[in-house]
Formats: sequence, structure tokens, C-alpha cells
Amino acid sequence: MAEQALSTPVTAAHKPSVSASRWSGTIMPRLITGLTIVLVWECVVRAYAPAYVAKPSTVVLAIPTVITDPAFLQALGSSMTAVAEGLAITIVVGTVLGLLMGRSTTFDRIFRVYINGFNAMPMIIVLPLFSLWFGYSSAARVATIIFAAIFAITMNVADGARSVPREYLEVSRSFRSGRLRMLTDIVLPASMPYLLAGFRLAAGRALIGAVVAEFFLSVGGLGYYILYNSRSYHHNEAFVGVLLLAAFGVGFELLVNWATRRFMPWYRRDEKTS
Amino acid sequence: MPTYLRRHAPFWISIFAGITLWEIAGRSTSAAFMVPFSETVVRLWQLVKGGEFLSQLLDSGKLFLSGFILALVVGMPVGMLLARIRTLRIGVEPYIMILYATPMVALIPFILSMMGFGFAPKLLVVFLFAVFPVIYNTVEGARSIKPELIEVAKSFRSSEWALWREVMLPYTLPYTMTGVRQAIGRALVGMIAAEFFLSATGLGQLIMSASQNFDTGGVFASILIIGLLGIGLTRLGLVIEQHFARWRQ
Repeated sequence: MAEQALSTPVTAAHKPSVSASRWSGTIMPRLITGLTIVLVWECVVRAYAPAYVAKPSTVVLAIPTVITDPAFLQALGSSMTAVAEGLAITIVVGTVLGLLMGRSTTFDRIFRVYINGFNAMPMIIVLPLFSLWFGYSSAARVATIIFAAIFAITMNVADGARSVPREYLEVSRSFRSGRLRMLTDIVLPASMPYLLAGFRLAAGRALIGAVVAEFFLSVGGLGYYILYNSRSYHHNEAFVGVLLLAAFGVGFELLVNWATRRFMPWYRRDEKTS
Repeated sequence: MPTYLRRHAPFWISIFAGITLWEIAGRSTSAAFMVPFSETVVRLWQLVKGGEFLSQLLDSGKLFLSGFILALVVGMPVGMLLARIRTLRIGVEPYIMILYATPMVALIPFILSMMGFGFAPKLLVVFLFAVFPVIYNTVEGARSIKPELIEVAKSFRSSEWALWREVMLPYTLPYTMTGVRQAIGRALVGMIAAEFFLSATGLGQLIMSASQNFDTGGVFASILIIGLLGIGLTRLGLVIEQHFARWRQ
């Protein structure tokens, strides 16, 4: 990009076909990098590491056995149910709290300190406390997921609700719309992009929350599956779990990007990560 | 001081209300479940006076700082290099994105069984948590450099080193600092995770041993202290970011 900027523009005659330039421009380097990573990993592990350490060739061989293993499927189901449950509660409560904070100064003043404060806390420190409160159970896991995710949504929705154009509110007021109606019909749709940005953050944190909770509480799930298998030196099986987690992380990311482009094409995504 | 009062009164009222609520909730439930604010402060004072707290804090601080600095020292040059060499960036970008989105905690069991309980595995955990935001944001910043600037520098026969020092670094630094702010938060989570799941040391051990001994007051005191530490460090990150943001055009 840098080198070509001031050089002569490519003339139409020389312009390569779009698919060919895409192939050599992006797909090739990516493929080569991917292959290099896999190759280096394989060689290094073969040369220096003990036999149980995961390497690409053995991880690939482990995939079929792992994804047909009922214990793995059960673990996956358990984790995903917990994440879905936690995220559902998070979205509802977080959005309501965020809308109230964004539109009411009183609410904002009461809750701002706490939302900012809790958001800045490393979330995993609540685990010992949650294990005291909820026991070593899946309730403690859902609580951890909610605690990990909710502040990201609340802060983003509050930002969104605050930035609703004044004219929208004035028009709705002139048409004698009630406060609740204004919140649900104008403020909420207008802060949708912020909600989605918050959701992207929250989903990532919910995944971390679930894994950490399973490590700490020994509750059955994907995180515990990884822990258990790597403890018993089944690194390949455990690594399939990590790959799946990575896929979920990337999946959430892509889902939100797609939804923002598809449903809110007018919105230039503003980076709000933390 | 009326303006100070008017601006900050809601904050203090809210804090005061929160503490009151905590105190009431703590007094009306069993001590195994929740401890009132006053007792938490007393327990905290005991920990501080016993010297236990300070040594654990130093221990954690050492881990946090070394992991964080390592992430910065590695992340910044890597980020700029990726921005400078286009093909490399295009090739590596998706993998960095994947690593950025992967919950790094999932790697802790592997690190444990390969590297054991020493300081090095913990350092690796903090590093892994913190490095990707630094790389990601530095690349983002370096991509925003106007190509004309590099062209001009080149036409004046600038050396590669001078180009990095005079153009790349000042342009990417504000973005890197956004990465630094994010990295501070992540490194803190990494630090506690390493202390929980690798070998119990530092503040992580403080809270773990309190919870194992059913010392609810100790658990609350540790959470309070780690929480305040997190808030303080996050604020510091924001201040640093805003200081450098003035460079951004």
C-alpha cells in the first residue's frame, strides 16, 4: 500500500482480473503463512517436545474421535447452554440498565461509579466469592458469565442512548409520545449499533468467563474437558477443544460484523474494544 | 468549593449509599455468606499490618510488570514490522485476529503441563494475555500513516531507521497506547488467572487461601483491594491514552 501510493496508477490495460489479484494479493500470503505456522509448529514439537505435546498432525487425527465422543458433546452442550443463558440475561438486564443510564441523569449518577468500577475489575477475582455463594455448581458458572459480560453491554448501550440525536427526541415529544414509548421506539433502535458493539465484547468475555469458571469450579463443560484432558496428557484431544473455542470467538466477531453491515449499513463501525 | 461539591456530590452520595447497602446486607446475612463493609476494612487492616499483603502485592506486581513490559517490547516492533511489510501483514493479519478473539485462558492447562509451576509459565500467561491488543492496535495505527509521508521521506533518501524513528513511531504511538490501555486490563486478568491456576502466589494466593479457609472477610478484603487496583490501573491507562491521543490527527 505504502509503496504504490504515488506511483503511476495502473492503467486499464494492465489491470489484472479481480480474482487473479485477489489470489496473489491476499489468499496466497495467508495460505503460505498458515502453512508456515503449521510446519514450524510440527517440526519444533517433533524435535524438542515430549510425545504427548499437541502438534498439528496428531491434532487433526484426534478431531474425528473427539467430535464423536459423547463426553465431549455433552461438555460442549453444557458450556454453550451456560453461555447462551448468561448472555440472554446479560442482554436484557444490561440493555435496560444502559438505556436508563443513558437517558436519565439520576440513574447515571447512581450507577456510573459502580458500572465503571466493576468493569475495570479483573472479573475472575469474583470466582472464590461466587463459589462461596452458589457452591461449586453451574449456577456459579452462569453468575460468572453474567458478571464478566454485563458491564460491557451496559456501558455501550448507555453511550448509544446518550448519543441519540436531539431532533429525534424533540419530534417524538412534539407528537406527545410517552417516556416509555420514546425509550422503546426511538432510543433503543438508535442505540442498536452500540448494543451490537457491546455484544461483541460481551460474547468474548462470556466465553472467557465460562472457561475460567469451569477451571475453578470443576463444573463439566468445554473448559473442564480441556483441563481434564491436558492433565491426563491427552493434549491433542484437549487442543481440539481450544480450536472450537477459537472458532466460537471468531464466530461471534464475524456475526456482529455481518449484522452491523447487513442491518445498519449507514453506521460506520466505531471501534470500541476494551 | 461549591462547584467541586456540585460536580462530585452525586459520586460521593452514590459511594456512601453503596457502602451503607453493603453494611446492611452484611449484617443481615450469615458471616459465611457476606461480611459487612466495616469488618472487611478491619480484616484488610489486619492483612496490611501483618505484612502479608505487601509481600503478596510486590510478588504480583513483579509478575504483572514483567509480563506487561515484555508484551510491549515484543508487540510494538512486531506491529510496526507488519505494517511496513504489506505482504507479511496480509498474511499474518487473520491469524492475529483469531488469536485476539480466542480465550487465552484455555491455553493455561497446556502451559501448566509443559512448563510446570515456576515464574516463566506465569510470565508467558501474562504476556499472551497482553500482547495481542498491542500488536493489533499498532498495526491499525501504522496503516493509518499517510502514504505520502513515507513517499516524501523516501524521496529525501531517508534511511529505513530514520523512517521508523521520525514517521512510523510518532504516528503509531497514539494507537499503540490504546492497545496499552486494553493490555493493562488483560494483563491484570492474566496475572490473577496465572496465580489461580498455575501456582498460587501473590494476590491470587491471598484470595484463594482466604476462600479455602472460609475466611469470608479475607475474600472480601482481597476483592476490594484487587478491584481498587484494577480501577486505578485502568484510570492510568486512560490517562496515558488521552495524553498521546493529542498527537492523533
